[in-house]
Amino acid sequence: MIEIKNLRKYFPIKGGFFNKNYGEVKAVENINFKIPEGEILGLVGESGSGKTTLGRSIIRLIEPSAGEILYNNNNIIDYSEKEMRKLRKEFQIIFQDPFASLDPRKKIFDIISQGLKIHTNLNKQEIYEKVLTIIKDVGLQEEHLNRYPHEFSGGQRQRIGIARSLVLDPKFIIADEPVSALDVTIQAQILNLILELKEKYSLTILFISHDLSVINQIADRVMVMYLGHIVEVAITKNLFSNPKHPYTKSLIETAPQIFRKNKNKILLKGDIPSPINPPSGCVFRTRCPNPSHECKEGKIEMGLIEVAPDHWVDQCCVNCN
Amino acid sequence: MSKEKLLSVKNLKTHFTVGNSIVKAVDGVSFDLEAGKTFAIVGESGSGKSITALSIMGLLPNNLASTDRGEIIFNNNNLINMEEKEMRKIRGNSISMIFQEPMTSLNPVYDLSFQISEVIMLHQNKNKKEARKIAIDMLDLVGIPEPQKRIDSFPHELSGGMRQRAMIAMALSCNPKILIADEPTTALDVTIQAQIIELMQELQKKLGMSIIFITHDLGVVSEISDHVMVMYLGNVMEIAETKELFNNPLHSYTKSLIDIAPQITEEKRKIKLLKGEIPSPINPPSGCVFRTRCPNPSHECKHGTSEMGLIEPKPGHFVDQCCYNCN
Repeated sequence: MIEIKNLRKYFPIKGGFFNKNYGEVKAVENINFKIPEGEILGLVGESGSGKTTLGRSIIRLIEPSAGEILYNNNNIIDYSEKEMRKLRKEFQIIFQDPFASLDPRKKIFDIISQGLKIHTNLNKQEIYEKVLTIIKDVGLQEEHLNRYPHEFSGGQRQRIGIARSLVLDPKFIIADEPVSALDVTIQAQILNLILELKEKYSLTILFISHDLSVINQIADRVMVMYLGHIVEVAITKNLFSNPKHPYTKSLIETAPQIFRKNKNKILLKGDIPSPINPPSGCVFRTRCPNPSHECKEGKIEMGLIEVAPDHWVDQCCVNCN
Repeated sequence: MSKEKLLSVKNLKTHFTVGNSIVKAVDGVSFDLEAGKTFAIVGESGSGKSITALSIMGLLPNNLASTDRGEIIFNNNNLINMEEKEMRKIRGNSISMIFQEPMTSLNPVYDLSFQISEVIMLHQNKNKKEARKIAIDMLDLVGIPEPQKRIDSFPHELSGGMRQRAMIAMALSCNPKILIADEPTTALDVTIQAQIIELMQELQKKLGMSIIFITHDLGVVSEISDHVMVMYLGNVMEIAETKELFNNPLHSYTKSLIDIAPQITEEKRKIKLLKGEIPSPINPPSGCVFRTRCPNPSHECKHGTSEMGLIEPKPGHFVDQCCYNCN
């Protein structure tokens, strides 16, 4: 349904006299992937890896620097703002922070119905009925519609955020860390809700998270991102049972587990480098536990290769291991 | 096997007055901390984990309600009714604390040298030069590269992981008996979290301090702790050795937490649920506080007539009596 080709996003760094351009933050580098209809694609990576920028670039909330975004085979990069606005109702976002993403001065009914007022010609009665169906679908009651956001708990607010994103019958949803701010019992409730609604509303979802275990529960396929690059893509089961990239391996092994089988974990050294000045060649080489000789010198080109059916890994790191 | 009790908390109650009502943030918590061990406190937000820690440190806001607050025994002294002047000698010296957010807990306008030396000069009677030398050694100890240079950095020049290392350096600089760590890895990425956990374990081996580790993440608990206390709405639900707790949980809340915790090793399955949310501590359920979410409450429990209180069905494994009987 959505296909991304060679997507890049560089943010210029400006400042000083004449607002001079000092360089670029290479947030998203040359990304290619497809999301088939009805899939939940997980996007995982550390902070600063470019997950959120990628998510927002796909629906042009951040204007990409280069590349193509094919939505139902149309390149939406070329769309004018007017055309884009019509398309907006098919794309929705669920945000991470349920406290910051709801307007504190609006009642829940107004928050949820705003999209309907802008994008549709429904009359008051129809709007009310639509909002009522949605609010019940996300597990809240009619009486909640007349309250303000501060009267709700984090889990309930996230339900409201989900209701708002569903009210226009979208096709594609970007869920940007929707459960990271929630307690584990509430997190499980929200994940379940997302899975239920995905079936009911036949949604396609890009699910962004830094938490591999959450991704494991919800995603059909997983992309691992590091410093603006995708380093591994595979079906969830294969990624977790047979990770190929040393970064993925390390993420899986270092994630705290209640019942750990494998005690010898690969600890990555150091921090994620700055995207202003990323390492030459393979961006992972500064933290790679076992870089090859060429890789160390930064001479290797990055690029995904298919090592097993539907299992893509960055070529450099396949050779390193 | 000698079990040396370093710190003993008995029936700790920390209640606050908010407007006309009383918030029972911590309502009768008891536990013992053994020397050289790690004791984890786990629970959802609002369960009273942090307030328990702050009560030990004597860092509570001044809207405390006047109730019998219980006892916190450390070195034969009761920290609860200790004078602020005396408490100051203990705080940062024999008991110190690190916090969740390394950015907000370091002072942005002072460099590391000033912030770490300050503690050392205050508690160890050293002059500025000696304190700086100790500070450099501490930075080296917590694995900050080039400590001679880094000592002059400001907090904003360090990454999240480095800041947390600097916090640990500061907390350990007076060689404390007890380190209280309040969600020290929650704000960090998973690869950095793993580094910090390993660092804390190494330092514990080297320096022999006890750690009270507060977290909401059962995975982290299982990696780091010797004993675990599960809290819910200001009450203790269960205390046991870590392995025992995970392999043989007795409380239905603990069981749910373990069931719900997302796992990497298992294949995708129907996500298990615990219904509802943690009730407000202003008006907690009568009787057993967990009854509103209990999957299988007994008849008495449902009506809020059962009494809470820890029992010890197995040596060293404590559980709230109400929920032990419900199952």
